[in-house]
Amino acid sequence: MIIRQALSRKSQLFLGSSPLRAIPSIRCFFCTTSAAQQYDGSYYQYPPPQGQVGAPGSEPGPSPGSSHSPSSSPDSSPLSYAEQIRRDWKQYHQFQNTTADLGTRIDPHYQPSRLVRSPPRPRDITLELLLASQAHLGHATSLWNPANQRYILGVRQGIHIISLEATAAHLRRAAKIVEGVSEKGGLILFVGTRPGQEQVVVNASGRAGGCHLFERWTPGAITNAKQILEQTPHEARKAVKPDLVVCLNPLENYVLLHECGLYAIPTIGIIDTDADPTWVTYPIPANDDSLRAVQLICGILGRAAEEGRTRRIRRAVRESAEREAREAAEAAAEARVQAVKEAMAGDMDLDLVEGWGDDGEGENRSRRERVRSKLRAREGRPK
Amino acid sequence: MGRQLRPLRVHQIASKMLESGRLQEEPAWYRVVGAMPPTTSLVRPLPVRMRPLQPVNTKRAKKAKSNTFRPQEIVYPEDKLRTQFYKDHPWELARPRVVLENDGNDHKNYDWSQLRQPGRQLDGESVIQHQLWLLNSNPYLTTRQAYDIARKKFYQLRLQEDIERRIATEEALAVGAVFDKSYFDIVFEREGQVLQDWKTKAAQDLALRKHKRNAAYSSTSLGEDAAAQVEGAAAEGTETAETDVPPVAAAVAVG
Repeated sequence: MIIRQALSRKSQLFLGSSPLRAIPSIRCFFCTTSAAQQYDGSYYQYPPPQGQVGAPGSEPGPSPGSSHSPSSSPDSSPLSYAEQIRRDWKQYHQFQNTTADLGTRIDPHYQPSRLVRSPPRPRDITLELLLASQAHLGHATSLWNPANQRYILGVRQGIHIISLEATAAHLRRAAKIVEGVSEKGGLILFVGTRPGQEQVVVNASGRAGGCHLFERWTPGAITNAKQILEQTPHEARKAVKPDLVVCLNPLENYVLLHECGLYAIPTIGIIDTDADPTWVTYPIPANDDSLRAVQLICGILGRAAEEGRTRRIRRAVRESAEREAREAAEAAAEARVQAVKEAMAGDMDLDLVEGWGDDGEGENRSRRERVRSKLRAREGRPK
Repeated sequence: MGRQLRPLRVHQIASKMLESGRLQEEPAWYRVVGAMPPTTSLVRPLPVRMRPLQPVNTKRAKKAKSNTFRPQEIVYPEDKLRTQFYKDHPWELARPRVVLENDGNDHKNYDWSQLRQPGRQLDGESVIQHQLWLLNSNPYLTTRQAYDIARKKFYQLRLQEDIERRIATEEALAVGAVFDKSYFDIVFEREGQVLQDWKTKAAQDLALRKHKRNAAYSSTSLGEDAAAQVEGAAAEGTETAETDVPPVAAAVAVG
């Protein structure tokens, strides 16, 4: 324990004041005013003090926004508020661009927050990534479920080691299922009830446009939906059932998985060496006790759902545009047919009918000929 | 809860429901799951073989359960070297170990011709990896020789670290740092406290024995007087104990 007594006596120089005080040359760097102007720490004051335009070399001036170029005459009126903001913004960016490359270069490293806010995609699944995320660590050998034997590589330091090739293969398949269901417009429910899983579950469900659950599953929410969900005071809507459930800790949520089995809802779950792989439709053999591994897997599934959803939305937009164009064309054709019918009934000259010109289409030509011959026949005109 | 078969049969169940008319339209997941059906199998395959096949011991095989499907111990050639190193240097196990990895590709950039690697702590593991590098690069070196070369380099580096720590302490003291109690001070204090407690209890025990002895021989009535006598004797005992021996903690100077 080291107590730096010396610093407590002379700390005002470096600590305790605003950060900009420590770099008094900030204004001199991008300001063309003289360095003699004292810096008063009011750089970020808005709006600037009225009526003070500091000429170069004069007494302590106001914020630098109002005294930029030495060529500006002392008589010029202070800049408008918007102009000041624009100049300061430009200066700020110039400063950032010049100083951004200074300082330590930090190598790419593991950033826990990045795993949650910007997780990797299904195409980024590698064995090295799963290993670094501690997805291969199973439980003590005495606690295993023998049904998991095919996913276990071996034993090391008293625990089972999950085969990462199995993990990668099952995770890719689960991602494909999630992407497919999302593309079909299915409702996906992300469930993670352990502490620390809330954020990643919410993010994944947001990407999928589905639902999330990070607190205890109310038993009967599927099998007894009418009583559990529809009779709560604020929920007046009809309860829906998910089309796919992704569960990050199946051991604790066995009731939810049982209900899904009863109602034929497919499930995806992270199966550790002590969990039963038959509880879920698509098991992902991996470590469910490491937050990093769980966040990685949930993030990847969320990204897969996002991709499926984006594809569905784009296709829907494209199809609606095509449908509109088609409908417009059909409406125009209908209008033309209607006009022809009116012409036939009202004995109008066909050439005056809109869109009835010689457009070169064979079908229309023959139709035109047919209608003309009918008209002539009715009137008794010669051909 | 036991084995569940319904999750694996969702597609068949949904098909039956559609046939019977219980479901009017296909669920959103129906075709997706149909295209990629679940493949969970409860049949156990042979595990990955880590050790060569052993001849079957017929005497044991008659009674014992088969280990054929049991996952095997994962063993690396470095494990023998690790056992040797940590047997010789048990206090290296007391050093904290960082097992955090970035993306799993750190090992690709390591050059084990030296002990120190950027981004990696100096550890017993560095010694073993350098030893392996020496063995792989020089075919005439024995394991023992490579081990001696690696561990002596390791001692040099640890010595450097110790010197750096000592210099850092001196520099800190020179600019006015005040260090709290050292481990020695804390240990001596605790020892002194334990001895003091023992002294107090011993005095109380002595007084009690004295009282019992007196009670065995005297004919006076026992009661509050006797209890007060015992307490007084105990207090007397602690006082004498305190005056006899000076406190141990005061003897140690703060470094």
